[in-house]
Amino acid sequence: MSEREEPGAGAGASPANALTRRKFILGVIAGGAVVSAAGYRLLAPRAPLRVAGGERLLTLNINGKQRRVEVAKNERLAWTLRYKLGLTGTKLGCDRGECGACTVLLDDVPHYSCSVLTQTVRGRKVQTVEGLAAPDGTLHPVQQGVMDEQGFQCAFCMSGFLMATVGYLKTNPNPTRTELAHGISGNLCRCQDYNKILDALMKGAENMRRA
Amino acid sequence: MAEPDAKPTKEAEAAQRRLGAAGPQASASTSGTRAAGALEPAPTEEPQPRPFGEGYKLIGKDYTTPDLLAKVTGKSKYAEDFRAEGMLFCKLVPSPMPHGRIRSVNLSQALALPGVRAILTADDLPPQPNPLAERALTNEPMFQGDPIMAVAAVDEATAAEAIELIEVDLEPRPFVIDPLESLRPGGPNPHAQGNVWVRSGPPHPGIHLTPLKWTAEDFADYDQGRLPMGHAPDEWSYGDVEAGFKSAKLVLDESFVTPDVSHQCLEPRTAMAYWQNGKLFMHVGTQSTYQTVPAIARWLQMDPDKVVLISEYTGGGFGSKVTGTQVMIVAALLAKKCQAPVMMRISREEEQYLGRARPGFQGRMKIGFAADGRITALDMFVVCNSGGYGSQFDSISSGNTVSLLYQPPAMRWRGVTVMTNTPTRSAQSSPGGLQGITIIEPILARAARQLGVDQVALRRVNAPEGKSDFGPANHGVRPHSTSSFLKQALDHGAEQFQWAQRAARPKRSGTKARGVGVSLSGFGAGSIGYDGLLVVTPAGRVRFHCGIGNLGTESISDVHRAAAEVLDVPWESCDVVWGDSSRHLPYTCPSDGSQTTHAMTRAAHAVAMACRQRLQEVAAKALGGRPEDYEVANQRVFRKGGGGGLSFAQAAQHAIRLGGIYDGHAAAAEVHPATQAAAGGLAGQGLVVAARDLYGRDGSTYSFVASFAEVEVDVETGKYDVIDFLAYGDVGTVMHPRALGGQLLGRSTLGIAHAIGQKWVFDPQYGAMVAKRFYQNKPPTILDVPVAMQWNALNLPDPETPVGARGVGEPPVGGGCAAVLNALSDALGDEIYQRAPVNADTILTSLIAGRPMQHPLMANI
Amino acid sequence: MAVVRDVMPAFDLLQPTTAAEAQRLLQQHGAEAWAMAGGMDSFDWLKDRIKRPRVVVDLSGIAELKGIRASGGGVEIGALTTLTGIANHPAIQKDYGLLAQAASLVASPQIRNQGTIGGNVSQDVRCWYYRDGWPCYRAGGNLCYADTPVGRNREHAILGANRCVAVHPSDTAPALIALEAQFVLQTPQGERVVEAEDYFVGPGQDITRINLLQPGDLLTAIRLPGTWAGARFYFEKVRDRNVWDFPLMNVASAMTLAGGQIERIRLAVNAVAPQPLRLRAVEAAVRGLPANAATGEMAGQLAVRGAVALQFNAYKIPLMSNLVKRAIGGVPEATWA
Repeated sequence: MSEREEPGAGAGASPANALTRRKFILGVIAGGAVVSAAGYRLLAPRAPLRVAGGERLLTLNINGKQRRVEVAKNERLAWTLRYKLGLTGTKLGCDRGECGACTVLLDDVPHYSCSVLTQTVRGRKVQTVEGLAAPDGTLHPVQQGVMDEQGFQCAFCMSGFLMATVGYLKTNPNPTRTELAHGISGNLCRCQDYNKILDALMKGAENMRRA
Repeated sequence: MAEPDAKPTKEAEAAQRRLGAAGPQASASTSGTRAAGALEPAPTEEPQPRPFGEGYKLIGKDYTTPDLLAKVTGKSKYAEDFRAEGMLFCKLVPSPMPHGRIRSVNLSQALALPGVRAILTADDLPPQPNPLAERALTNEPMFQGDPIMAVAAVDEATAAEAIELIEVDLEPRPFVIDPLESLRPGGPNPHAQGNVWVRSGPPHPGIHLTPLKWTAEDFADYDQGRLPMGHAPDEWSYGDVEAGFKSAKLVLDESFVTPDVSHQCLEPRTAMAYWQNGKLFMHVGTQSTYQTVPAIARWLQMDPDKVVLISEYTGGGFGSKVTGTQVMIVAALLAKKCQAPVMMRISREEEQYLGRARPGFQGRMKIGFAADGRITALDMFVVCNSGGYGSQFDSISSGNTVSLLYQPPAMRWRGVTVMTNTPTRSAQSSPGGLQGITIIEPILARAARQLGVDQVALRRVNAPEGKSDFGPANHGVRPHSTSSFLKQALDHGAEQFQWAQRAARPKRSGTKARGVGVSLSGFGAGSIGYDGLLVVTPAGRVRFHCGIGNLGTESISDVHRAAAEVLDVPWESCDVVWGDSSRHLPYTCPSDGSQTTHAMTRAAHAVAMACRQRLQEVAAKALGGRPEDYEVANQRVFRKGGGGGLSFAQAAQHAIRLGGIYDGHAAAAEVHPATQAAAGGLAGQGLVVAARDLYGRDGSTYSFVASFAEVEVDVETGKYDVIDFLAYGDVGTVMHPRALGGQLLGRSTLGIAHAIGQKWVFDPQYGAMVAKRFYQNKPPTILDVPVAMQWNALNLPDPETPVGARGVGEPPVGGGCAAVLNALSDALGDEIYQRAPVNADTILTSLIAGRPMQHPLMANI
Repeated sequence: MAVVRDVMPAFDLLQPTTAAEAQRLLQQHGAEAWAMAGGMDSFDWLKDRIKRPRVVVDLSGIAELKGIRASGGGVEIGALTTLTGIANHPAIQKDYGLLAQAASLVASPQIRNQGTIGGNVSQDVRCWYYRDGWPCYRAGGNLCYADTPVGRNREHAILGANRCVAVHPSDTAPALIALEAQFVLQTPQGERVVEAEDYFVGPGQDITRINLLQPGDLLTAIRLPGTWAGARFYFEKVRDRNVWDFPLMNVASAMTLAGGQIERIRLAVNAVAPQPLRLRAVEAAVRGLPANAATGEMAGQLAVRGAVALQFNAYKIPLMSNLVKRAIGGVPEATWA
């Protein structure tokens, strides 16, 4: 049996006895103990920390071009792409690797660019949504699949889904619908248009095989 | 390209017949029959689904929307994608506590930090006489995360450092997270003025906050796991409820808790603002380009003519960005204070605080059933968690929705709308509709099992039909829907889903259990009275000016295809201008409540009809004869039966020469002043036509969906998956099949999310939200829905609107949630859950205990 | 004093290219340094401004710590090998399918493309109070906010709690314990090789740590002995969402059979306690018994002895019981007509 202390509303039933405990909880709520503001937590203040980091000039391979750009030590790739290079097709939906809107390819592999330090992609091939279409404007077959099927709604997630799909198709060019769903499962759509997205991206995979 | 004076094509003739020249009455080809106690309609009159686009050139056809190429290439710019010279960055200071009052602040250290330009406090905001109203910043934060200040600096890092140097002395105030706790005897109030929103009638109509406590006797039910039902400020009833219960064969009385669920738009409500020559320019996401301008002007107390709003692309709204959000004025005020552009990038955590959410309900419902499953009486009681600001109307909407969808002959509804110290709520797709449907449907499923009635049959016998009454009487008359073909949607849906076969299959194999569920669903789906505005250009193109917000529902272009259809102009010759308030926008509905497709196809129809009239007049003036001697087709206006005519290009040039009402120098008197001004702004650009939707409407516009789901549960882990789903719509004329499918399934999935996991979690002791990240509050992923979902629609036109189209965003949501819940109880029995969402923990422990093992009433677990 | 999130404070970034250099830098900067592998755990702490290292040592450029190679009858996995690299590796799939499966169920594809095995086993707990910066026991305070009468603790521990009731979130850790893996650590005192199960530190031992790593230490490799190659494996992860979720619980077992009887077995679970648990008592009890449902049932009952439910996590007891049962007796396949 673990030793545990019971903070908060004081004495109660044995935590080992779930039923008794549940009654106890109801009693506590009824008594209004939960709404006391007295025990309000305060986060410990911390002195701000300034580190002389500075920016460093890097040469990055972005969409097949060498781009020279000043990059801070703690800068994430999404920041560099969006704010230094003007490639705003890469979106920031959560900045925590939890939505996929910022997905780009690093050496053909999908990554969350909100969670990659730009300093670590030197020498690697970075591809964003802006690098999918041919220079003459011909759409990438996966982009064309979206056009064909009117995929996506608000489309804030779209570039991330496109990059995840292009990356996944490099490992499995002829996926089943279920396989593709797994392949792009690290991308969130809040319009929840998943069914039409899969229609469009399956069409994109088909376009790619034909191309 | 078009042959001179060509006859209208057969398709165009058919379309024009269907669209009609005389308004909705002429177009009503499939009138609903008034239900009013009527028997089932004779089988011969049964309306049958129609192929999409039948008889039309554009309506009901798939096409590529004008915004898609920019989206697919990453060129579409959302609010945060803009940059301006000398732009500053702002960060908000969130309240650390759920309710407090600022005693003092010390900003000196923060302001002294190099790079900090300004700090905005609530004292810098325009005065707000109503102390209960939400403001962009506050000295009395009403929930943890409520912004109290904002810092502008040269970059975000500096702004963040400055925030950590701000000293705030906040006095903690009493707070409450769970509505029921505030209703207990002696329970805390979320605000000094009280805890419950009460509507008052004349002589001082309005909504005010007042203290309301129930008695200990009222609360006796709580300890039995049943919702206490003390005094409810809102109440209505019709019919003899008690008699209905007396005559019932079966009476069920159940409590149910629905979750608070954040909208969680993928694009946070970022705003960028700058001032130029006395004008405010704002880049934001919003659900309405047109309606957000006056909102900003109101919040800033300035002239709306001085506001320019740019919002060509918005990353989701779902009700949370109706006319934007107040917090965006922080960027505007800081930009003014600093005399520089200001970007306020909203983080995901801030979005969780500010991004709005659906109010959770604690509800209870008693229903009487006849032997065939027909409802004899219904008594509904809901407690609505309305958050820290404003009274949400979800409770009222829930009663109306239940009354319409299930047609109880006698019903009482009572509602309590409670303020709590939790983030601001707003309408979310099917506000109140989802909650009402989620409360009633599991009871229907249980009743069908107890009565031995098929689940689909039980819903069919209760479903509305044609013009169906709902809600309480107003001045002695109950309102009614414009039409309903929900029984047909149920029939055809059951057939497509192979309901009978699936329901008859074995439910257990190995450790797996399967079940199927069906639900009715529906919601209000259309408003009336807005304006259309178009220009026939001297190049012969037709340009539509559109004030609809671009949420990706495709209504920015779909609705104008109704006008193109009426004008018989190819879509390739049409342009749509949207997303910029300086581009002369007509009076437009906000894109919420699924009203846009209905409201703006009417406006589009009206402006197209007016355009035809103007073209005929221009031709008569140019070529002689009377306007009615001319007809419009193939981008020409020409004499009926052959003879001279003008191309659209020629007509536009002639309109410019005519001036006045023809080129925008004057506009139709009936249109909104804003539309008149917009037409004036376009004066001289071609044939400028503005018109108002003056079509009549008998009834309230509702759309309906029959929803079907199948689940598979592992009884040893409690984990389950939704393995199939069908949404079958009765949504009027189908405008754009792919967009419709996206809405039917996308919004169904929002409902499914309420069943399978999305939720808020609060620590009630500290009043703190603990599930702030996606991995904690669980928006569904692509692997949480069936890999191939199904949708369909009847495509039966609504008889009360010229194009026959109704909205579709809200109607599927409730059915998504309830069909999954019902499938779970089909698989596992009735003693599993009494709240949503339902997860592995609930299923596993309830199966073992033989009764629901969720806390029956507590909010935000 | 006010709190702000989602702006990562500045730090100095050091990018060694060899393990020796990394170790030297970590030792040089001691407690001021933060070792970052894939960064999927680190970034949350940094972006929330809760952890504020002066120096971040980026390990991602160290080629020698990546990859899978044969080693003494088994394999050695560089600590910086990505989870995708492990899940897709033919030798792992062939002989150590348990680990491949566990790795393939972590988080999301992109996270597996970047997240490393070293990071996955070394990540911090996910208690939402602790992660949000509340001054709890684990954060150096003197309260547990999850274990109060109204604390929200659905995802918390049923075993092994000691003031802190957070659970260990790793999916690969129980698989590695079941495979009898050894973790190779470089410390200022030299190389140290520990059994997988000994790598994890419970709150009773040191509440502010979750594994053996001290400032200046580096996890460089994980060795899988040949002992369990090709054994009979079972892995299951139960989670709320089918992707992108930490386990509500997971279970991993490796066993060899002789004449239908369990000859050798190793069994571990995670997300039930502050550290991954090897279920030695269960292993001992089932040795020599048939690997069937009855043995599984008995094992499941035995596994949860001493488990204590908090307010909202009672389900974890039957869940653990059932997962252990399955890990030994298997799952009858559903056969739908």
